[in-house]
Amino acid sequence: MNCKEVINLMDGYLDGELDPVTNQTVEQHLRDCPNCDRAYKAHGMLMRAIGSASPYHKAPAGLRERIQFSLREEVAEQPMRDLSQPALRAYRRPQAGAKTVLVGTPWNWLALAAAIVVAAIITFNFVPRLRPGADQLLATQLIASHVRSLMANHLTDVASSDQHTVKPWLDTKLDFAPAVPDLSNKGFPLVGGRLDYLDNRPVAALIYQRRQHFINLFVWPIESNAANSTKTMSRQGYQLLHWVDSDFTYWAVSDVNANDLQTFKQDFDEQIHPR
Amino acid sequence: MAVALPLKPTHASESGDFESDQKVVKFEVVKKREEQDHSQTGELTSFEETMLPHLDAAHNLAKWLLRNEEDAQDVVQEAYLRAFRSFGGFRGGNGRAWLLTIVRNTSYTLLKKNRAADFTVFDEEIHASSDESVGPATILEHSEDAELIKEAINELPAEFREILVLRHQEGLSYKEIADIAQIPPGTVMSRLARARGKLKEYLAARIGKEK
Repeated sequence: MNCKEVINLMDGYLDGELDPVTNQTVEQHLRDCPNCDRAYKAHGMLMRAIGSASPYHKAPAGLRERIQFSLREEVAEQPMRDLSQPALRAYRRPQAGAKTVLVGTPWNWLALAAAIVVAAIITFNFVPRLRPGADQLLATQLIASHVRSLMANHLTDVASSDQHTVKPWLDTKLDFAPAVPDLSNKGFPLVGGRLDYLDNRPVAALIYQRRQHFINLFVWPIESNAANSTKTMSRQGYQLLHWVDSDFTYWAVSDVNANDLQTFKQDFDEQIHPR
Repeated sequence: MAVALPLKPTHASESGDFESDQKVVKFEVVKKREEQDHSQTGELTSFEETMLPHLDAAHNLAKWLLRNEEDAQDVVQEAYLRAFRSFGGFRGGNGRAWLLTIVRNTSYTLLKKNRAADFTVFDEEIHASSDESVGPATILEHSEDAELIKEAINELPAEFREILVLRHQEGLSYKEIADIAQIPPGTVMSRLARARGKLKEYLAARIGKEK
């Protein structure tokens, strides 16, 4: 192998991409040829410099949320579009059977059909797993609302870290008056308030911050039959925490970890119901 | 629901009762739709778990190719949507390389639309202005200057920027690079060599100007 050939293979050699035999031949040549060895060392240093000195453009904050939101929109649109397909299948399948079964023994077939209908109704209505629970639907809405609030520069309608600004503003817009505690000394500074629409009613959204993360706390008056329970959920990388007190139902949504959200709830509770 | 309509004539004439059949069909459709919803949510979760970890790599490649933050973000978002639509065709393996292929293609679509200049044939004459007095040692002295290297890479044509990013920042193999850049595996080495050679020239030219 001459010097020209070795120089041509230099990049592959440095990248460790040559086959073992060629690799060994190049290695042998570099031991014997000081000129090529010098070129090899210089080229190697340049390559390491490219790798270590060229800046890596990490994704900016918010891009992830933006993508997740657009993916959810995509999924939400799809069932509408695809409905025609299952419809066709549902139509074809019984028809294929109809020619043989139905013509000969209609009553047996009808009995079978009736049995299927009964089974179907029972399954559909009484097996809860098949239907997305109300909580699941609400959780989806809550996350969508949280993501949207971070996307479109619409985090707050009233931006203020002062509870005495946020609370009166919300009180004038809503038919209820949620507490707006100041939690800045607990590490959850207030960012502002917003009106939102969830679960078929206007709700208050209080925005708190935890380090670089935002917490949307959605508040609305408690339903008379609401269960007095605390729930935690983790979906799509977001944490949800739900609780109620004597007047309101609360849903906190954020990408902070579950512990932080629990701490947030405790601090919130302690501020508005001091012992 | 219009779905059950085609059944009516057949069944009505045979049995005089199509009520129950209609219900069967209705149920099938509703149930299918639910299964679909469930499977779609499941698919989305699985897609996000596989692909979102590569968001930085996707953005990095798009930013180097487009040299513009706004375009890069738009392309990454579009690429994720395209990737989700064809996720069924992803057969495991290197998720990052698979995603980067889509990011690369989406970037080129925009590049071609916006800036035909990037695709003019690389003119050796125009760029062959390197200062011979700037030796490898001088280049190496400046090789930790991130801003200088960034500017020099940004001057290279897209096909060189792309291959340098894939190799030096993502550490991908020649085979993976060939798949992403859609070139024969045998040409990866020579293209890398040319890209590095050009980069060296540009660095030399810039350092020469500074002197």
